[in-house]
Amino acid sequence: MTPVTSKVCVVGDFAVGKTSVIERFVNNQFSGKYLSTVGVKIDTKEIEFPDLGVAHKLVIWDVAGSDEFGHTEFAYLRGASGYIFVADGTRQATLAVVEHLHGQITQKYGPAPFVLLVNKRDLVSDWSVSDDYLDALTKAYGNVYRTSAKTGDDVEDAITRLAELIVDNDIQGS
Amino acid sequence: MELPARVVEFLQNEFLGHARPFCFLIDQDYRLIESWGRADWCGLAGIDLATDMRGPAPYLTGVPITEVQEFEFIETPSRVVVNMHVIPENGHCYIVLLDAQQIHASIQSKQQSVNELRLMHASQQKLIRRQRDLISELVETRSELDHHRREAERISANKSRFIAMMSHEFRTPLAAIINYADLATEEGTSRNDVQKSIETISRSAKHLTSLVEAVLDDASLDAGQLELREDDFNIVSLLHDVGSMMAPLAAEKGLSFATYIDPDVPKVVIADEVRLRQIMINLLGNAVKFTVDGGIELKTSYNDGRLIVTVSDTGPGISMDDQERVFEAFERGSGRGETGAGLGLTITLRLVELMRGEVSLDSTPGEGCTVSVHIPVLAGEDSVSASAPILPAPSQDMFASNPLSVLICDDDADMIALVEHYLHRSGYGLITSSDSAEAISKALKYEPDLVLMDCNLPGVGGVTAARVLRDRGYEKPIVALTASKLSAEEQSAFTLFFRKPASMPELLSEIKRLTH
Repeated sequence: MTPVTSKVCVVGDFAVGKTSVIERFVNNQFSGKYLSTVGVKIDTKEIEFPDLGVAHKLVIWDVAGSDEFGHTEFAYLRGASGYIFVADGTRQATLAVVEHLHGQITQKYGPAPFVLLVNKRDLVSDWSVSDDYLDALTKAYGNVYRTSAKTGDDVEDAITRLAELIVDNDIQGS
Repeated sequence: MELPARVVEFLQNEFLGHARPFCFLIDQDYRLIESWGRADWCGLAGIDLATDMRGPAPYLTGVPITEVQEFEFIETPSRVVVNMHVIPENGHCYIVLLDAQQIHASIQSKQQSVNELRLMHASQQKLIRRQRDLISELVETRSELDHHRREAERISANKSRFIAMMSHEFRTPLAAIINYADLATEEGTSRNDVQKSIETISRSAKHLTSLVEAVLDDASLDAGQLELREDDFNIVSLLHDVGSMMAPLAAEKGLSFATYIDPDVPKVVIADEVRLRQIMINLLGNAVKFTVDGGIELKTSYNDGRLIVTVSDTGPGISMDDQERVFEAFERGSGRGETGAGLGLTITLRLVELMRGEVSLDSTPGEGCTVSVHIPVLAGEDSVSASAPILPAPSQDMFASNPLSVLICDDDADMIALVEHYLHRSGYGLITSSDSAEAISKALKYEPDLVLMDCNLPGVGGVTAARVLRDRGYEKPIVALTASKLSAEEQSAFTLFFRKPASMPELLSEIKRLTH
């Protein structure tokens, strides 16, 4: 297996479940208690792609929630190979934040592979995001996942998909 | 000016004591060259030289080491929080890690409170929006319910009125049929009276049929089941037919009747002849029914593809309030007191609307009424000239008096004729009236020995008329003979109460008892 290491950044508005998603992905755990992130939290996880002969180590930068990035946040994102955007299905405004942050990052560092996680699928009865809107987002961005950090639904699939996209991107780049 | 050496030394010791700096030097491949300071607190102790530092310090992955950079509050995989400084020098790079645990904890606590407040605010806003939505839904639902309730009340009131009206309207011809049938089969009835009885029974049965047809037509229109059958027909012939049918009825009441056809009216039109005839008969029937003096005119013109049929009368007219109601089912306007299902104008309006036309009504109380219908019809061939009016001879109001006399007040001529027959045979003199006000005046003037009074009458009605007679000193018996249901309080206005259809021999027997 060829080892590959990539930096990926997790971004989105506050309290959308970024840290919980990563906790589920890395340690397969979930805590219902909300604990806000200050600065950035680093975790790593390796995913193997036997077909590609690649062992892909992700260094995950879980960046504090924000609806607008400034100098400090952009410093964290530097050198990232991909992004995990996270929004909260029960707060439609967090999807607008994702769209805004995606625009800011692309403008600053250029396009990069990403996945969009619309989280809190376990609270789908409280969702304020319509299926039509999500379908439109999927058409516009692709790789939109309805996830639940609580139950784990689609979390691994979404991040594994990002890891694949980064490998594909690297292969195409090289 | 520089700080005193002692102060600088003190501050340095303070800073180094809190920040516990750990510094290491790496080459361009991130391999460890040398390190300084305490490494145990940040999990980097005991690392061999030449180790790729992106392994034990994964946060170096992707970080360029060619320019000075500062990263605040990096929580490492070993769960310590560091501030990281990247300081390149001569192709190598110093990485300095400072312990930021304390200040991170303090900021985290404050940030936590702020975020929780923001979440609470967002949740509150969501609840307020939901509450507003619920209130709007509630208001809308309430408004819909109010509308449905009013509609249900209106339908219920209409139904009650319909039942009351139908009860009265059906009882009157039924009374005539039953009583005349009794009369015809009675021993001693002359051949002439039997013939008259059969004619009255036939007339009453036809009247019943027309009531049933009106109700069925209304129901069909209500259910949207009535379909128009359009065909070519001679409109002039139709107008003459209708005129011939209505003129004798007007003449019976001493009313003039005239029809005018504008020269522009095409001889042949394409429309539903049966329904057009029904519209004209309804309008003319109403005009004849409600007009006491003067006359009725039927004018027909044609303009811009529309047939305009106008019926004018010199009747009592319709008040502004009633003008809004007369087109509703079972409404006959206040104080008009005539018989019928109260469906004529409703059916007319619906038929005209079915023909994509309009109905207009112009009336001033006391000055008659004009109803016009405008119906789009396709013209056939020629037009015709105006025809001359048909003028019937007026009829006379009849009354008589006798030493033993009875005043009969009823708006149904057949009922008067029936009672008249029995009372005449028993030697009574009769005074007749079809209007309660007129009955009061005749009773006070001729002082009959008994008043036989219907209750649902034009004018003030039978109950009020009986009370007025008592107030004005009429002391002789007043007997009610009515199809209406009276309350105990209303019945007390009368000496006796008979409900139609009553047994004529029984009624006669009571009249004899009260007048002898």
